[in-house]
Amino acid sequence: MITFPVRFRVRQIGIDGNTVGSSRILLCEEPGAFLIGKSQEADVPLTGDAVSRRHLSLVLSAEDVRVQDEGSTNGTYVNGTRVDEQVLAVGDQISIPGWILELLAAAESPASATRIAGVEVDASLVSRLVITDDDAPPPTRRTFPDAEFEGKETVSIEALRASGHPIEEVRFCAVGGGLGSFVWVDHLRCYGVPASDIKAIGTEEVCYQTYKRYCKNSQIPDHERLRSNALSRPDNIWGFPGYAMREVGKGIGVKGIFQVFGEPTLSESYTPRAGDVFDSLDIEAKRIGWPEMFLKAQVLGLRKTSDGRYAVAYKLWGGEASGQARNRFIIADAVHLSTGYPATRFVDDFQTFITNHPDARAQVANAYEPHDQMYVEAERRGGPVQFVVRGRGIVASRIIQRLSEARAKNPEIRILHSMRSAIGPRDGAVFRKARRLVRNNVEIQPFNWPKSCWGGDLRVEYENANDEDRGIMLSQLGGTTTAERSDWIAIAERGAEEGWYRPIYGNISDLAPLPPQGEKQPAGVQVSIDTQEGNREELNADYLVDCTGLIADIRRSPFLADLLDTYHLPRNHAYRLKDGKASQGGPTGLRCTNDFEIEGLRNGNGRVYAAGTITTGGPYLAVDSFLGLQYSALRSVDHLVTERIHKVRNLGPLRSLGGWAKWMTGARP
Amino acid sequence: MIPTLAGRIQTRLFLFLFIGIPITLLYGLYWTGWQWDWRTIQIFVWFLCTITGLGLLLDPVYIFLQTTRWDRDWPFAYQFFFSWVEFGIVFFVARAGLIPYLPEFAFQGGQGLWIATLHFTLVFVPSFLFLLGPLQALFIRWRFKGGQFGKM
Repeated sequence: MITFPVRFRVRQIGIDGNTVGSSRILLCEEPGAFLIGKSQEADVPLTGDAVSRRHLSLVLSAEDVRVQDEGSTNGTYVNGTRVDEQVLAVGDQISIPGWILELLAAAESPASATRIAGVEVDASLVSRLVITDDDAPPPTRRTFPDAEFEGKETVSIEALRASGHPIEEVRFCAVGGGLGSFVWVDHLRCYGVPASDIKAIGTEEVCYQTYKRYCKNSQIPDHERLRSNALSRPDNIWGFPGYAMREVGKGIGVKGIFQVFGEPTLSESYTPRAGDVFDSLDIEAKRIGWPEMFLKAQVLGLRKTSDGRYAVAYKLWGGEASGQARNRFIIADAVHLSTGYPATRFVDDFQTFITNHPDARAQVANAYEPHDQMYVEAERRGGPVQFVVRGRGIVASRIIQRLSEARAKNPEIRILHSMRSAIGPRDGAVFRKARRLVRNNVEIQPFNWPKSCWGGDLRVEYENANDEDRGIMLSQLGGTTTAERSDWIAIAERGAEEGWYRPIYGNISDLAPLPPQGEKQPAGVQVSIDTQEGNREELNADYLVDCTGLIADIRRSPFLADLLDTYHLPRNHAYRLKDGKASQGGPTGLRCTNDFEIEGLRNGNGRVYAAGTITTGGPYLAVDSFLGLQYSALRSVDHLVTERIHKVRNLGPLRSLGGWAKWMTGARP
Repeated sequence: MIPTLAGRIQTRLFLFLFIGIPITLLYGLYWTGWQWDWRTIQIFVWFLCTITGLGLLLDPVYIFLQTTRWDRDWPFAYQFFFSWVEFGIVFFVARAGLIPYLPEFAFQGGQGLWIATLHFTLVFVPSFLFLLGPLQALFIRWRFKGGQFGKM
């Protein structure tokens, strides 16, 4: 149930990414839909060149609060993901160019509705509401493609034609439009499928946009290095020459080559620069004709067709069409699903805190959210600033590096590194004869899985294992790790010596907002930690950065939830090993075959494949990695070849060499 | 590198057949003044076969060592190092005259060392370079199959 007034905090964002002026509150006092945009008729007029006249609508009912994009040119984002329509939870951030709107929890009393953290804020943006008639259907009711798809497992092409929506037929359709789709399409193209036979649908024109956003938020700018291997090139299906050799070619240096030679034992593992990965993807996109194949649209649903194909319903982004003309179908023989992280969901206690104390939102952030302003404020503000960094993974390492860089501007920044327990050199994870390295209380691993999960004996063993054994291997080989980097080790050691870095062990038991005290002491967050010794340590911090990651819950994607329900698709499960016995945990990714086919969607000659994080717990451990995307693309395209139905030619040694030569010379495949 | 046992064996035999043998024959021909003299050339061929044979025997040992490593991988540096260990073992055993099918005069003296080292260098360098990536241009599935050839 929604309590009115519904409150949004509205912040204006400058070109530098920082907040301009003070926060304002948008109060929505009754259910209804209201428009935000540059237009005079908008209920909430917002300024800015990149804001569309009709940008988005907030749709409030007694049941939920939704945001709906009105076909804006530059899009509407919720927690960093571009959306067409989305139900909001407290703490969700809607961003449009130049503005962030954040859904706050209901005020305790009408009088406190315009207060944030006890401070009265400007509530000048009180809405004019569009009142809806009670008998009218809720304004969010979707007519497309529900009229054609709702309740049906199979639709006929004739019925779709009769609907009057534009229909296009292709052989292959990639749904998602991100890196997973790109890698699959790249394989098809290199196997010889012409660009005219392929369509890729996604909300971002640039395939690495979402990935890049996560990098930026977690403080990996273009010149920093990713956690990836030299030969894991999403722009090159052969993986050769690798990024290290590319650096030599570009005159950056030969150090990378020696790293590749000695890694991971004699030298630190080589990793490519983020910017280089993006640049090379741009080149490959141009080479294979990605822009010709790409449709900027939101995929709304997928159904089997009565003639053994699939109908993909999508809504074209505004700017190319308007109104009903945006609703279209693609009919495809084979479909590839790679929709990525459905929505950002945080670990439970963090989610609870931001739900209960949305006003303290500026003091806490998940590392994958935009939170640059924390560093900027800490650098600007003189005097002591205390950060709690939670988690021991690679993201925490990078955030601590960012904070140590900020110390150049404000040497009084202190870092408290919160970890669940201290781990010694002999406490690393054990898998049969091997034990994971531990350094400075963090487990060290070059990449997010042991290397042989990608192509060594563990890949084979895992693929051949049954569900339970897969689950156990996953739990034994997984876990939070970071990379061995001498600069990170030096930061921890120097910081501990100089007293500005301190690890704290224990469970975070409570988070509470600290209201500001006068000019000198701005708002903060109190972090209570139950230490291993049984004490409770209370830390008054200025900021908390939670680096415990994101949770991929595929049901949070309306598109995938609809598929799961319509076709009763089975899912993979997590497993836990307790006293030598495995017990099944919650559901994880979509179940697929070793060739990444979703069998429940097989339709005559039609085939649906999947890749990426939505296949977690399936036939491959490292699905959520560049090389993992290449592996799953290779498996699924090879499967198309073997089945001989879809007329994809095999890529044997000679054709492969020919294709590689084209790649080397930049010729179109 | 993250080879499996089958992958190690297949890749070793592939490099032996397609790089090792042709280069060895050319090298042998060079020493016989570009005349086909099997009695001399066979020394080089058997020498390379012995190294490959030893390598095949050692492959399970390497695989065992891999299982003690958390990443279960095999750094390129190890591959480099152990290739020369294999060469060294075969060379000194041959020099001691313990390989019955090689004539006694082979591998003796300073020149014997030099000829054998040059031979192995000529075979090893292109094989190793080929392993570093170009193999993938021909066989795109090879890197996911731990060094095995063929379909997934």
